[in-house]
Amino acid sequence: MADESASTPRRDPIKNPVGNVAAQRRRQLAVTVGRERREAMFRTKRLCRVGVSSDMDVPIDSDMIIEEEQSILEAQTSSAVEELKLAVAFQGKGAVQRKVNALSELRRLLSRSEFPPVEIALKSGAIPLLAQCLSFGSQDEQLLEAAWCLTNIAAGKPEETRALLPALPLLIAHIGEKSSLPVAEQCAWALGNVAGEGEELRHILLSQGALLPLAKMMLPNKGSTVRTAAWALSNLIKGPDPKATTELIKIDGVVDAILRHMRKSDDELATEIAWVVVYLSALSTIATSVLVKTDLLQLLVERLASSNSLQLLIPVLRSLGNLIAGDAYTTNAVLVVGHEITDNIIRALSKCLKSEHRVLKKEAAWVLSNIAAGSVAHKQLIYKSEALPLLLQLLSTAPFDIKKEVAYIVGNLCVAPAEGSGRSSLISDHLVSFVRSGCLRGFIDLVRSADIEAARLGLQFMELVLRGMPNGEGQQLVEKEDGIDAMERFQFHENEDLRNMANQLVDKYFGEDYGLDH
Amino acid sequence: MMMVDNHLQTQTQLQSEFQYWLPVRRRFGPDDPFFASGNIERELLAKQIALNLTEEEEQQLRNLEDEYREVFCPIVGCGARLRSLAEFEDHYNARHTACCSVCSRVYPTSRLLGIHISEAHDSFFQAKAARGYAMYECLVEGCGVKLKSYKSRHQHLIDKHNFPSSFEFFKKSRPSKKERIKKTQRKQQQQQLQQHATEDEEGSSPMQVEEEALNGLVSALSKLTPSDSSPSAISFGRRHTRGLAFVPRAVHRETKK
Repeated sequence: MADESASTPRRDPIKNPVGNVAAQRRRQLAVTVGRERREAMFRTKRLCRVGVSSDMDVPIDSDMIIEEEQSILEAQTSSAVEELKLAVAFQGKGAVQRKVNALSELRRLLSRSEFPPVEIALKSGAIPLLAQCLSFGSQDEQLLEAAWCLTNIAAGKPEETRALLPALPLLIAHIGEKSSLPVAEQCAWALGNVAGEGEELRHILLSQGALLPLAKMMLPNKGSTVRTAAWALSNLIKGPDPKATTELIKIDGVVDAILRHMRKSDDELATEIAWVVVYLSALSTIATSVLVKTDLLQLLVERLASSNSLQLLIPVLRSLGNLIAGDAYTTNAVLVVGHEITDNIIRALSKCLKSEHRVLKKEAAWVLSNIAAGSVAHKQLIYKSEALPLLLQLLSTAPFDIKKEVAYIVGNLCVAPAEGSGRSSLISDHLVSFVRSGCLRGFIDLVRSADIEAARLGLQFMELVLRGMPNGEGQQLVEKEDGIDAMERFQFHENEDLRNMANQLVDKYFGEDYGLDH
Repeated sequence: MMMVDNHLQTQTQLQSEFQYWLPVRRRFGPDDPFFASGNIERELLAKQIALNLTEEEEQQLRNLEDEYREVFCPIVGCGARLRSLAEFEDHYNARHTACCSVCSRVYPTSRLLGIHISEAHDSFFQAKAARGYAMYECLVEGCGVKLKSYKSRHQHLIDKHNFPSSFEFFKKSRPSKKERIKKTQRKQQQQQLQQHATEDEEGSSPMQVEEEALNGLVSALSKLTPSDSSPSAISFGRRHTRGLAFVPRAVHRETKK
């Protein structure tokens, strides 16, 4: 029986309720990174191990034994469902308490380990019973336990998540304003798992009206409910159908809430809000155009510059990237050269380029490449900034995917904005300076790779070098870096475009006359 | 500033024109593989606390991303499945750099190297070609067709196998300065010799084959007895008619060895 303790609500698991032996066993078990576990890792669903409410009793030592015999667990589960069945049917005195106890027992079994006995629970017929327990007018504790069970049933395999279908309308009903916060939060969590499963389920949830109530849960200033709702919302709107994002941005109070949270909330909440922004900006041009006209860019840049939480930086960086890539307004009107925000973003991006995290380096380079695709003033600004030495270093030593993004930056910095078709003009001092700093080798590495896009980039940059370096210096450098060899590989390459490009360069710059003048 | 929907440049240009570097903003959809590692990172970070992952495990999981970035070898006819880009470089060096010991040109398969050696360094090949035998093999393995000249083979590749007209099997080399000087001198010599050369319209430049040796061989061949079914007359110099389909039995037997 849960007691009304006054402890502060905590969401993170517990310092360590597990004893030493159990902890050791758990570590051992964790060492084998099996395929199932890997899949579980990468899922966008989240298992609920600890209740959302401070009132819930926290599992203690005895409950967290890991190496439970699977068959024992399954036996316990099926008998728990049996008991639930009886409890639901029971009409007499203490019926509610009996239901709550049965639910509680099932919930414990489903919260214990990384791989709860979901299949057996389903086979035993848990879903209809749980749906019944969600009926209107039920006590909060009952609703909470039932929703918790459903959350964990939905946290695993696709077919298990889909099993929740009959319960969905009820779950949605309980995230309304009239519900108590813990109940609403637990239901939102369950819905988040369902939405995380796939497009089909997202579509169903949306048509059943999940968007509006979930969005409203995001409006209060703080609380774990807001965070869970934001996470669930990000799963709900992730598309690929942009309809949800377009609807979301139009809901009253949403834009304001986003700004408020981005401005004031703690890292954890800001993280989930940022993911909502990621999807809004990736999928909806309407949302993007609304957001770029608010203070959001400013707030995102500030977070990017000041935070050290990788969890927060990833969606903040990506939101910025999407907003820049998605709407010319961003680079034309907001990130104008001369505005403080522009200097700040370049500084913040440089910080990301220096980070040890690959994701940050790669995506920051992408964002910077889009700014570098802007006006000549933008290119000059980047060229003179602290980013420059980082670019050169990354181009020669970074892993392939980062190198490729940096290549885009360097190339974009050397070419003036595109005007119609035909070839763009060079920004000679940038090009010459880059080449003399030794960047050519990095590009030739790209030419040699098996990646078509990278090879194309490399060849295109080589063309700039051959065309733009004075006094045949380009040809000498290319030859010195084994660029000719690299181009000759394409004679037998299956991609016709690349073959043609390589041949054209070789024919034009290393033809019969090459070297005869020297 | 131009916008494109995916990260490939979609500028329409004449096929013959080089696809120049074009600075454009690149946009990715939320499910684009570009964002995959960031998405994985999100989930790992969210779960690591709950699951008490050790740093080692985390690193293992992150590395999976890299390991599974499969790529197929893009060299024509190879298609080898490589587990990573780094593997490609090794694979390329191991499998596609058959090097000619005479002129150091590199070919992607030993078969093509063999064809090159015959065509460029084998005077016997030259002799036979000069006599009108169909010596120039189709480069596509399994085709089996043989043509009488470099040019006609080139045309066959274009017509039957969709090779681009810019494809040159025998590409000019880029020799050192010393060699370049020698080359200019040799070129002048060759131009003189070419008047006595065979019907072959070998459009490319210097072969390493000694012209004198060639002439000697051919004249030696001309003394052989032709088979019954073929014309006895052999002639050199430019032809306006088709080449000879002349196969002296004696020679044939010898080549078969």
